[in-house]
Amino acid sequence: MTGKRFAAGLVAGAGAAVALVISAAAALANPYEKYAGTTIVVSWPALAHFQAAETLVEEFTAETGIEVEIDALQYLKLRDRQLLEMSKPTGEYDVVSWVVMWKGEYVSKGLLTPLSQFFTSGSLVDPHYDIDDIADAYLQNGGVVGGTKGYMPGKSGALYGIPFGAETSILAYRKDIFEEHGIDVPATYDELRAVMQQLADLGIPAMTSRGKTGHQVTAGWLLHLAPLAGKIFDAEWNPVINSPEGVEAAQVMREITNTGPAGIPTFGFGEASAAFLQGDAAMYLDTLKIAAMSRNPKLSKIDGKVGYALHPVGSRCGSETGGFAVGIPANSQNQEAAFLFVQYITSKAGDQRMVELGGDPIRMSTIQNNLSNFDEYSVVLEQLPCADPDWRPLIPEWNELNIDVLGQALTDVITTDAPIQPIMDAANDKARAVMEREGYYSWANYRAQ
Amino acid sequence: MVDEREFDAGASQRPRFDARIVTPYLFILPACLVIAGGLVYPILDAFYLSFYDWKIGTPISSAPFSGLAHYKRMLTDPDVLESIWVTLRFGFWTITIEMFLGVSLALLLEKPIRGASVFRTIFILPLMVSPVVVGLIWRYLFDARIGWINYYLGMIGIEPQVWLGDAELAFFAIVFTDIWQWTPFIFIIIIAGLQALPSEVLEASRIDGTNWWQQILFIKLPMIRSIIIIALLMRLIDVFRALEVMYILTGGGPGRATELLSLHIYNRAFDTQQLGYASAISVLLILLVFGLSVAILVIGNPFRDKSDI
Repeated sequence: MTGKRFAAGLVAGAGAAVALVISAAAALANPYEKYAGTTIVVSWPALAHFQAAETLVEEFTAETGIEVEIDALQYLKLRDRQLLEMSKPTGEYDVVSWVVMWKGEYVSKGLLTPLSQFFTSGSLVDPHYDIDDIADAYLQNGGVVGGTKGYMPGKSGALYGIPFGAETSILAYRKDIFEEHGIDVPATYDELRAVMQQLADLGIPAMTSRGKTGHQVTAGWLLHLAPLAGKIFDAEWNPVINSPEGVEAAQVMREITNTGPAGIPTFGFGEASAAFLQGDAAMYLDTLKIAAMSRNPKLSKIDGKVGYALHPVGSRCGSETGGFAVGIPANSQNQEAAFLFVQYITSKAGDQRMVELGGDPIRMSTIQNNLSNFDEYSVVLEQLPCADPDWRPLIPEWNELNIDVLGQALTDVITTDAPIQPIMDAANDKARAVMEREGYYSWANYRAQ
Repeated sequence: MVDEREFDAGASQRPRFDARIVTPYLFILPACLVIAGGLVYPILDAFYLSFYDWKIGTPISSAPFSGLAHYKRMLTDPDVLESIWVTLRFGFWTITIEMFLGVSLALLLEKPIRGASVFRTIFILPLMVSPVVVGLIWRYLFDARIGWINYYLGMIGIEPQVWLGDAELAFFAIVFTDIWQWTPFIFIIIIAGLQALPSEVLEASRIDGTNWWQQILFIKLPMIRSIIIIALLMRLIDVFRALEVMYILTGGGPGRATELLSLHIYNRAFDTQQLGYASAISVLLILLVFGLSVAILVIGNPFRDKSDI
């Protein structure tokens, strides 16, 4: 009897062991299974790339069983909402998408989770993810915080986000207008300024630009500051906004306003893009996102008429590094499911799918694989090495400098005929006061004692 | 036997619960609690915050104490002074024109003329539209590139104007939009007052031989004086609270040309994360509105003469 019981026990034990192995094998077969039924909430902007991503999100849910709720807001309104949610003990958001200029502020306030804690997990990380394939300029600019100057690449940097909807700047122009009037595509700033005047003389609004007071007019100016070899700060955090390069970039903004479509001082990103897409401007010098937007019949009247060229060169080549990155708030209750989502949409397959849906790629392999499909990709490939990671200082104080200091001064530049140098001198003094207040010169003062 | 007088005297010395005294306080208690929670607490909190340097996303307990620094800075900050000046100019033009138009329309439409109800309904339509929608409607109407205003001006040969991108034109635009939306408010209040006027007085004045103008200037307007003052007071407070339309229409720009004080506070608080400083300016705003309200009430207290409507 005892032997029978022992045998029965053995059989039962073996069965349980087999079941455990099978179940473990099943769990290993599907890394998403553990999180099926979980709902994550994603905060991202109501922009074309992200609207295109909604289909990818549905596919993610169908494949993984993880439900996704999207809270899409106008992109400059994201920060207020995200800061409020992320500063609660338990926030609503599991994934947030930030404009790259906010990353320093978010990390300095301890609101984001370092992604290294997920990349150390073999059960979470897809071995084929290949993070090195993501364009380095995008990854460093959107995701890495704490390197040189706090926002640049560097050994002290840590990864907090993955680029999604990242960008650099290229020149888009109306091929039909340029061909009709025999105008050469400008390759330098001197040529660009001459072409703007030539188009204006022909009665054609030359180039559209952002120009609304605050962040938008500053973004427009920064696009010209980098190729003209200007900076916001020197190596000691002294503002150099009023340098000859800064003043020249402001002069370019004034010329763009005077030769471009009516209303540039009121244009945000949407209005500036719409002016080009609706055929009211011959050139657009800003994010590469304009290419996908120009192919969207809901947005564009100029599909097939647009050519692309490198961001014109001033004293050097220097295009913008901006757009968005996605990461995980420190107070998210579903961090692992959130990581799987981030990984899915930024994977090689996800990136290719984004291109098919009308979005913009972040991976070099995706750009290479689609060179023959989209005119602008070869330009982007050539432009990316010029993408300047120090295009603007992504320090926590940048928002105040961007909106309250530069955003006001540059409005004076484009809405008046006043001499530019005194305007920029005053802005420089204001910027210095902000940096002084925030303690940026305490080391210099300490050493001077 | 107990002496009845002694008993009465003893009772009168003890505090006695009188429901008639307590009941009115009980009735107003809920309203007081709502006001305390919804009005007094936020004001006290703003006052408290104005002594600290707090940034959203950080624990308020870790915010450094800044004492009176925000108040000192505020009094010499040219941006704050400019916003106050913009607000005062905005208030002067909007309230003056709205009062004139609102009272005039009410006087014209108080008579039971044919179609008056249709006109009245049309006139109050802007009041029913959400301020955000008002901002959007006028933003697109004033748009330099696609706006209808430039389109129709172009038909008569006028060059397109950058309405919201020029300091003077943008100020005109926000004044115009405010007049469009809030004149009906004055109209409704005044017409209600006019229709409640006792007919005997008006009839007596007619018998005495007053003409239309005399009746308006010497009978009707004086009799609705308290209503006019209340309308003026409410609009004055509204001007200092105005935010949504300007936020959507111009965002305060170009530069600070249309940045009313309330919008300046918003921009400081959320764009530049200076919550403490913004709270100090909020305290200034409360004091300004309080002072103006008291001044108007002192000049023409509507409750002083109850013979008014």
